Amino acid sequence: MSGSLIIQQPGNSVVTDLGRFRGPRFGLPVNGALDQFSARAANILAANADNAPLLEITALDFRMQASTDLLIAVTGAPLTLTVGGRECPQWEPVSVRAGETVAVRRITGGLRSYLAVHGSVEAPALLGSCAPDTVIGFGLRLSEGTELTTSRSVGPIRQPYFDLPLFRLGLTRPEFSSRAVIDVTDGPDVEEFGDTAELLFNTEYTVSARSNHIGLRLGGALPERQSSAEVLSRGVPVGAIEVPSREELLVLHRGRGVTAGYPVLAVVTSRSLDTLAQARPGHTIIFRKTTVPEATAKHRAAIRELENLRSRVSTIFALLGIGKDPGWPELIPAAGS
Amino acid sequence: MAATPNPTPVEIFESGDSALRVVASSADTEANWSTVHSLAQWLETAGADGVHGAVPTYDSLLVEFDPGVTSARQVRAFVLLGLRQLEHVGAPARTPREFSVPVVYGGEYGPDLERVAEHEQLSVEEIIALHTAKSYVIRCLGAPAGSPMMDGPDFPLPVPRLKDPRLSVPAGAVAVAGRQAVIAPAVAPGGWCVIGQTPLTVLDAASEPLVPYLPGDLLRFRQIQPEEFADYAGRKLEAAR
Repeated sequence: MSGSLIIQQPGNSVVTDLGRFRGPRFGLPVNGALDQFSARAANILAANADNAPLLEITALDFRMQASTDLLIAVTGAPLTLTVGGRECPQWEPVSVRAGETVAVRRITGGLRSYLAVHGSVEAPALLGSCAPDTVIGFGLRLSEGTELTTSRSVGPIRQPYFDLPLFRLGLTRPEFSSRAVIDVTDGPDVEEFGDTAELLFNTEYTVSARSNHIGLRLGGALPERQSSAEVLSRGVPVGAIEVPSREELLVLHRGRGVTAGYPVLAVVTSRSLDTLAQARPGHTIIFRKTTVPEATAKHRAAIRELENLRSRVSTIFALLGIGKDPGWPELIPAAGS
Repeated sequence: MAATPNPTPVEIFESGDSALRVVASSADTEANWSTVHSLAQWLETAGADGVHGAVPTYDSLLVEFDPGVTSARQVRAFVLLGLRQLEHVGAPARTPREFSVPVVYGGEYGPDLERVAEHEQLSVEEIIALHTAKSYVIRCLGAPAGSPMMDGPDFPLPVPRLKDPRLSVPAGAVAVAGRQAVIAPAVAPGGWCVIGQTPLTVLDAASEPLVPYLPGDLLRFRQIQPEEFADYAGRKLEAAR
């Protein structure tokens, strides 16, 4: 049975996925969830494929109403989640009954949260992805009254002990701090900056309000390129750190233009791009040098953690009958209760 | 794309944990371009687990991958395998198509035309004449949104980028920077000098492919008058042959 929900207060929210990986060869940025770990975790907790369409809610309060029974999971920046007025845990599956309102309020400490619905939500795709692309005007930005359809509805899971949470899957949550340490590897053009490249590691940078999904602009002491020769446009990776002006450092994120003619000083690691996705204007950024093998190892450790989560979720959900036959799973009260 | 029996040697640079930059650095720019584009095509056709794709430009290629599935070391080996394959079999040839692009130069359509003329120490008319003088090879699809990146006109000097990039450049803007030329398919910020604007629709997000041209195709600009601009409105850029 399919399910549905209606957006009541969109705040700043879109339907996205992990990105348009076929985009860059056509000159389109990859885009997709800026905090990939949180997005994957939300989908895993909702027993979806990692890359399933889900909601990315940025900074502002959000509210939706379930038209059918749903199972959801909310991850990302710390916030207050209520379902039908009851406060519910983040980073755990949450059962929602038809007619109940799901509210996400007070996103603090970070910037972006992710809301996945079991059975995912339907959204138009371009080159195999629903990720919004603001430059070409593609994607599903949510507004009041938007109705989203999910491929499945999940009967309410009843908790016989009122004060205990339904699930305790125990994923280690990322840390959220107003002073973020960001790992970077040397960029392919680091030598063009001579000794000034070291400034990157000796400076505390401040996130500017002009930052967005295309890139973060950081104020602070700027490394300076030692030559002024024109660079032919070339592909730049997500995470590239450039110094395009004398005002700010630019750290490209998933919405970045695929090609540019600025030298790449350093590249933020995959793990730290998730951290940057949560940096708010005014937050402090400190860069730390690492190597590609170390960055790869850290990324894989995070993926392993998500894989462990997936196997715990699938065990529990199989016991509850979620994702299999539609039914009305009910926890059996312990003897004597 | 011309066959490449002998790809040029390349250098491979780390670009973070999810990408490599491959640079063809011979003295022959045509061979460099051909090498990186043939290699991009080979990588796409061959396919490897965890390799998302490749972005070829002039002399460089950005290969993007998922570090959870593969690694910089494995992708480097894959790229080198591709080069050896190209040495043996070459790349398939494709007949280039030609695109003709009407442009209104200067005024509100090309706010930087006079600045470029001044920098080049030429008249505005001479700049337009040079810009429309020949067909350009589309070298690659770039930012934003599949822009056709071309070798620029034969101006005496490279054109400097704007000191303060514009926050918004309209779709259809015809711009130059360095020794390159471009059309902006979509509204986006930009630091290139805008010398004109085409009324044609370049990018159609509702259709695949999003843009009608491929690297290797030819594009030629022709001047139209401001009063003709509206006549073309809503028309899509299409190949002449």
